[in-house]
Formats: sequence, C-alpha cells, structure tokens
Amino acid sequence: MLLAVGVAVAPLLLVVRVSLYESGGGVGFYAPGTVALDHYAALAHAPILFTVLFAVAVAAASTALGLALALFLNSLTPRCQSAALGLLLAPKLAGALATAFGLQLLLPRGPFAALAAEVSFVLPYAALAVWLPLRAIPVETFLAARSLGANGRQLLWRITLPLARGGILLAFQLSLAWGLGAFVGPLFLAGPSESTLATQLHAHVTELRWPVAAAEGVLLLALVAVALALFRRREEP
Amino acid sequence: MTLKLLGWLVLLAGIVPLLAATWVSFSPDSLLTPPTGEWSAKWYRRFFTDPRWSAALVRSLVVAGLTAVACVALALPVALSSRRWSRAAVLLPAVIPPAALGLGLLPVFHRSGLWGTTAGVLLAHAALGLPVAYLILRGGIGGELRASAEAGRLLGASEWQVFARVTLPLLRPAILTALAAVFVLSWNEAVVTAFVSGPSSETLPVVMWSQLRGSASPLVAVASTLAVAVALLPLLAFPARPNPPGRTR
Repeated sequence: MLLAVGVAVAPLLLVVRVSLYESGGGVGFYAPGTVALDHYAALAHAPILFTVLFAVAVAAASTALGLALALFLNSLTPRCQSAALGLLLAPKLAGALATAFGLQLLLPRGPFAALAAEVSFVLPYAALAVWLPLRAIPVETFLAARSLGANGRQLLWRITLPLARGGILLAFQLSLAWGLGAFVGPLFLAGPSESTLATQLHAHVTELRWPVAAAEGVLLLALVAVALALFRRREEP
Repeated sequence: MTLKLLGWLVLLAGIVPLLAATWVSFSPDSLLTPPTGEWSAKWYRRFFTDPRWSAALVRSLVVAGLTAVACVALALPVALSSRRWSRAAVLLPAVIPPAALGLGLLPVFHRSGLWGTTAGVLLAHAALGLPVAYLILRGGIGGELRASAEAGRLLGASEWQVFARVTLPLLRPAILTALAAVFVLSWNEAVVTAFVSGPSSETLPVVMWSQLRGSASPLVAVASTLAVAVALLPLLAFPARPNPPGRTR
C-alpha cells in the first residue's frame, strides 16, 4: 500500500512540481525554489494533435479487431480456444521490445509500423475485455432466439452485441488511454518526424530538460484522465 | 467461416515479428538477414560471453523472481481485506502511462540514491506488478473461500491456522498464476526501467533498448529470442484451461 502510494502518487505530484520550476543548472537540472509557467506555454508546440489522432487510431483498430477476435474465440471448441488464447497472449508474454524488434525487421519505419506495434500491445486486453462478457451469455439465450426464428445476423445484432456492449466500451476506453501514452511503438518504429507526447517527453529527459518533460507529463496525464472520464462505464443495472 | 479465417490470421500476425526475430538470431553473418542456407549459433555464443548482455540477463532473472515474490506477498493481505481506498491505491500504477511514471520516479530516485541501482529497478517493478498480483488474487477469492475460512474459525482454528491451512491451499492456483504473471511483467518491463536504471543496473530489455535505437546487431535477435523463451515457460507450466462455453461458475 505505502509502496503504491510512494511509487505512484508521490511521483505524480513531483511531476507537477518539477513542471513548475525554471530551467537551470541546479541539482536535478532545474532551478530549485523557483516557480514558472513558461513550460506550459511551450506546450503549444507539443505534438498534441498527432498523439490524440494516433490514440484514436489505436483504440479504433484494437476495439474492432478485439471484437472480431472475441466473436472468433467464442465460436471455437475448448481445445482450439486454448490454442487461440495462447497465440493471443504470446506477444504480450514476449514483451514489447521483442515485438518492436521483429517489426523493425519486417516493416518500413512510419506511422503504420508504429500503429501495428501499439495495436499488437493493446489487442490482447481489448479482445479479453470483449470476450469475458460474451462468454458469460448462456447458450440458452441463443437457442431461445433461434427457436423464435432469429437468423445469424439478428443473433449478432440483437443479442450478442447488446450484451457485449460493456466489454466493447471498456476495450475502447482502455486502448484509448494506453494509446495516448504510446511510447515504444512510436519511438522504435515511427519516422524521425513523428513523435507522440510520450516520446517527446523522453527526448526532453535525455536532453536533461526535466521541467519541459514534466509539463508534457502533466498534459499526458490530463489527457488520459479525460479519456478515462469520457467513457466511464455505466454501472450495470 | 470468414470470421475463423480472419481470427487465426490476426493471431498469427501477432507472432510473426517474434518468429522473424528468432529466425534472424541464427544468422551466420552480422547482417540482420534471415539465414537460408547456413544456420549458426555463433551469436548465441557471443551473447553468453559478452559481459554486458550476460550480466543483464542474470539481473533480469533475479529482479523478475524477487518482484514476483514481493508483489504476491504485498498484494495478498490487500486482496483479503478489500478496503476500497487501498484497492484504488494498488490499482493506480496500472493506469499511469509508463513514460509519465518513469519521469515522476526520476527526481525521487535521484534524491534518495536509488537511481541506477538494482534495488531501484526492483522497487519500480514492484509498483507495476502490484495491480496485476492484486487483480489475479482477488479473482481467486470467492464465496467458497470465505465460507471455508469461516467454518475453520467456528471449529476453533486460530487466524494463523485458517490462513495457513485453508486460505493458502485454496488460493494456490491464484498465487501461482500471480507469481507467473508478475515475473513475466518484470522480465519484459522496458519503459520505466529505462528511466530509472543506470549502467550498473541494466536489465535485458534496457540493453535491447539501447541497441534498437542505434544499429541493431543479431545479438538483439538473440536477446529477443531468449526473452520469448523465458516468458513462454510459465505458459507451458500452467496451460490455459478455459471453461467449456456456456458454463460459467
């Protein structure tokens, strides 16, 4: 508990504090004891639009593919399901850098390669978020609808999708929040001119411009908070 | 039918990059081209004799093992107690973008002397692993467990006896899953670690990171193959066993 507070909450507050220091040669690469808002003015040049568009693309692609994968998983026999789950989780287990390196070998650098990487990181969560509610629909529901004369398309639109709605929204919300923080994909696979807030932040840290990076960090956190608040899951009745 | 085809294709597309990396790791020359005629293990020999790579490999294994044990030990009491604010605090690191978390840890770690130490890496990994361990353990605690614990208490068992003889054995599968999941998370963690580690606390992903930015050698392919191999071990040990469709608890 204390660990979580110490390692998550305290740093967040510190990010805010550091973002308000003047740049300077003091300890930690900022001038202690100063207060300045300059770094927030400089955010006008931050890649906000690209970050948001990239996150929306990640979320849209992950949710669409996640929904398709969830329907697919639900249609498999248990044995095939185990194999499919293993394949789904394998890239997650192998780690982001192994996937990023493999994609470097296969795709030319650019926004598409970065998108492919980020989608492959988020997709397992999106697919599971949709699949879990789908799996909970009792078979009898479908049998009843069938016996009342519903065809396959009607089953999908009138039963499956409405019942999986919570999962679909959750998948979109999660992948949007993670897409906003997209880092490994854009860093290793995007072209040199395409940077997201997270990669920009990292570049400023390596240039030892901590206050600038911190202001970008605050903006990034604010965007994630907005994304999480926009699509608040409604409580199930 | 088209759904099935699409499903398998999407799943296969996910592992193609990993297969490509594995293939390239057996290249006989220093170019990142897949070997066709001649296969060679020379990059593996070079990997294990290179002090930087082999130290990072060992450090990653140790950190991942310790993180797994620490997270499960810390998350278990929280999962059993179920207070709302403690739950929020434990889950928080999961929604913070890793780059922002790494940035926030920088001043803390610099001031406390944890920057660049293996202990610092361990602490950062523990914060990231806690939500995972908590969620898995929480999922393993059901009404059955509570009822059995209550029965044990009624029969006169002490709190400690209930914990050791009822709770722990019933939670064994969840504990093993949580250990495996946190191990893999720590083993793969790159972003936060890149912020808080220094030359003497590099983990395997951090060394890969430095190579990926510059000109990568087949050693990176070897590292990613080993990363995949180690991460797949828990999957082989605990194969996924989904419930038959239509039957949920």
